[in-house]
Amino acid sequence: MMLVKIMFYILAAVALGSALFVAASKNLVRSVFMFFVTLFALAGLYVLALADFVAITQIVIYVGGILVLILFTFMLSGRETLDAIQQQKSKLINLNKLPAIVLAVLFFVVMFIVLRQADVNELDWVKVAVAEGNVIKPDGIQIENIGVNLMTSYLLPFEVISILLMIALIGAAHLSRKEQEA
Amino acid sequence: MLSLHPSDFWTLSNYLIYFLVAAGLFAFAALFALFGVYAERKISAYIQDRLGPTETGKFGSLQTFADILKMVQKELIIPAKADKWLFVLAPVIIFVAVYMGFAALPWGPGLVPSKINIGLYYVFAIISIETLGILMAGWGSNNKYSILGAMRSAAQIISYEIPAGFAIISAVMIAQSLDLQVISTQQGVASTETIKFFGFWDVTHIGGLLSWNIFRAPHLIIAFVIYFISSLAEANRAPFDIPEAESELVAGFHTEYSGLGFAFVFLAEYSMMFLVSMIGVVLFLGAWNTPLPNIGALKLADWTTNIWWGIFWVAIKSLALVGVQMWIRWTLPRLRVDQLMNLCWKVLTPLAFACILISGVWRLWLM
Repeated sequence: MMLVKIMFYILAAVALGSALFVAASKNLVRSVFMFFVTLFALAGLYVLALADFVAITQIVIYVGGILVLILFTFMLSGRETLDAIQQQKSKLINLNKLPAIVLAVLFFVVMFIVLRQADVNELDWVKVAVAEGNVIKPDGIQIENIGVNLMTSYLLPFEVISILLMIALIGAAHLSRKEQEA
Repeated sequence: MLSLHPSDFWTLSNYLIYFLVAAGLFAFAALFALFGVYAERKISAYIQDRLGPTETGKFGSLQTFADILKMVQKELIIPAKADKWLFVLAPVIIFVAVYMGFAALPWGPGLVPSKINIGLYYVFAIISIETLGILMAGWGSNNKYSILGAMRSAAQIISYEIPAGFAIISAVMIAQSLDLQVISTQQGVASTETIKFFGFWDVTHIGGLLSWNIFRAPHLIIAFVIYFISSLAEANRAPFDIPEAESELVAGFHTEYSGLGFAFVFLAEYSMMFLVSMIGVVLFLGAWNTPLPNIGALKLADWTTNIWWGIFWVAIKSLALVGVQMWIRWTLPRLRVDQLMNLCWKVLTPLAFACILISGVWRLWLM
């Protein structure tokens, strides 16, 4: 168990440190690459939580998909735009940043209170599950469970999401089509 | 709290084994790259009616070794306007992404570096990180050729992941598992479930060639071809090598790399070739199972199924596929970008969809 704890703290530190760099760095492209480290550390945390399917999905979707798309937009937008963004004044306290700071602080307060009041280890359903042995083991196979649940209990949300993606695709195709003349 | 239990020592020695396995895989990747470059030069020479390297060592066999020695000694040139961090880190990320993929690949019955029950999905995910490394190299170099090469490469890899993924899914639907070791075991005499050749002839105890996935369900032959073509594109190999099209882009995303950085990019390319071939072998061509069937009293399949034969078979099959990759590279001309996208979206993707549909029907009615 000790190694798991050490791993957890290392991964958490990496995730937090890289996230801080992402937020603080003025070099946007480097921020994006650093975000990759954050996502990877998060995936590691998921693995420690025995959610390996979620971890790998995180890598496929975020690293393989979203990050690459973000980079694409950077490379298409050219250096001048990027330089303009980098030349912004950066004082720690700045009127422009006020909304962001307020949002961040409020969010932190909410999280903190939730964490204090929830008392995760003492929840009833957690205790019942542990007593009944209804827990995930490290060698358990999760993927069949996920598949069966997606196709039974959660079929409607699953299909609704696919429709949402379809709408996004159609929208993108429509926007990128050339204007027809006359 | 830092007290060590006896059990910790057991886990520690376990971790030592993990490190040894990791080092072994790295050594294998490096050795394979050396061999691969030599083979590539000899095969290209044969196809173009030349001799290839002949001077260093017998038949030029030490040529790539001499090349790598030269490369290690060379200066690592970082362009003045390059983003230093990205430039230096990119080749490492490209290589590590490919190298981590090897962790989940099975080499023989019970012999797999890391037994994870979603191994296939893991490999697929890890490979997609390579794209990021390539973009990093292209951007970090601060060179127009590099950026163009990197963008082409990323676009190509992302597009071809789709037909490759669908081809993989159609094999997984037949195998009903993402664990590469389970998929491997199913395709030979060690299988615990009944295998039917083409869906009608029970070959569970005959094994050999007849129980490979491509013969369990014949539409997987198409899926395999789709996967193989897409894997060429994902490894940036000809005829899909427009990311480094030397006639237009100098060398694509690795134009600015010299010395060790270039060596890493090269290592990654050859490791990737082996990795995608091995995945193809595991999914479609019987993994570590023997091609020889049991014929009556002649139990060829039983005799040639164990750990050592397993390593031998999987290596031979993967090397054969790598050989085909090289043969294709020196035979076919490069595709244009529009042809590349047409092939991906209008030919391979619909075909791969059809394979998934057939897989579903096959699984329901014939297995």
